[in-house]
Amino acid sequence: MSARGERVRAAVAAADYARLIAAIPYAGYLGIGVEHDGESRRYRMPYRDELIGNARKPALHGGTVAGFLELAMQLDVLIAEAQPRLPYAIDFAIDYWRSAGPHDCIADCRLIRSGRRLAQVQAECWQQSRDTPVAFARADFLLRAFDDDDTTPVPGD
Amino acid sequence: MGEDIDKRDPAVRETIAGRFNRMIPHNQAIGLQVADVAGERIRTTLAYRAEFLGDPEAGLWHTAIGTTAADSTCGLAVFLAIPGLESVATIDLRMDYLRPAVAGRALEIEARCYHVTQCVAFAEATLHQGDRERPTARCTAAFMRTGRSVLA
Repeated sequence: MSARGERVRAAVAAADYARLIAAIPYAGYLGIGVEHDGESRRYRMPYRDELIGNARKPALHGGTVAGFLELAMQLDVLIAEAQPRLPYAIDFAIDYWRSAGPHDCIADCRLIRSGRRLAQVQAECWQQSRDTPVAFARADFLLRAFDDDDTTPVPGD
Repeated sequence: MGEDIDKRDPAVRETIAGRFNRMIPHNQAIGLQVADVAGERIRTTLAYRAEFLGDPEAGLWHTAIGTTAADSTCGLAVFLAIPGLESVATIDLRMDYLRPAVAGRALEIEARCYHVTQCVAFAEATLHQGDRERPTARCTAAFMRTGRSVLA
């Protein structure tokens, strides 16, 4: 297993989510955190002014909500796997249900299927109330083992 | 609502596209630049930053930052395609991640609004790193026309 694979495996095993997020710079840029709500995991993107798309409303940039949900789903696949494999997004889609205000975003993920090569995930994003979700996303991830070959470009190139 | 603005004039398009982009704090935060809005197919660029990486060891951009850039660029393409200064909101958006974007090189986003109705506009985008025959991602998105000015 590569050095990165080893670090990710150790971080998942120790539930050291700060270290896991440090392995994905863009997750760090968005400030994403992993939290536990009883048995289930939950993801949070803390509000900051840089995330605003419409200053008049004000509303978060839809792209930041999309990015947050894709990262939440990617992290959820990583954490759920006993032997972590790097999930590469194949495709992603988002429905915007409500405008997202200047508040923290929270994501609940649902790992629909995780097979030998493919993981299929859904996520819902909400802010102050779980009863009024702001967005729904789905994504498919290709699963690749963390091995010595993981620095080569992904298939399809 | 600025109905007298001639959005066919390249100079006008450039001016209002620049203003539109500067009004969006997150576009400024990530450094999204308007590159070419003279024609129907517009182009923005996103300079490389290490904080946009998804896999630092392999040297690959995170796919999700491309989604933000695609949403912004499709939104701009729609804004330039509809009359006046009407604001739009993304209804839904889909990305197909065709090949990874490599570290050290900028991301270019080409977008086109290909259909407008009274209430809705449809846009598509291609993301690449200099060679549009080798796209890193494709995007399709639908936008709601709000009926309100971006200045309101």
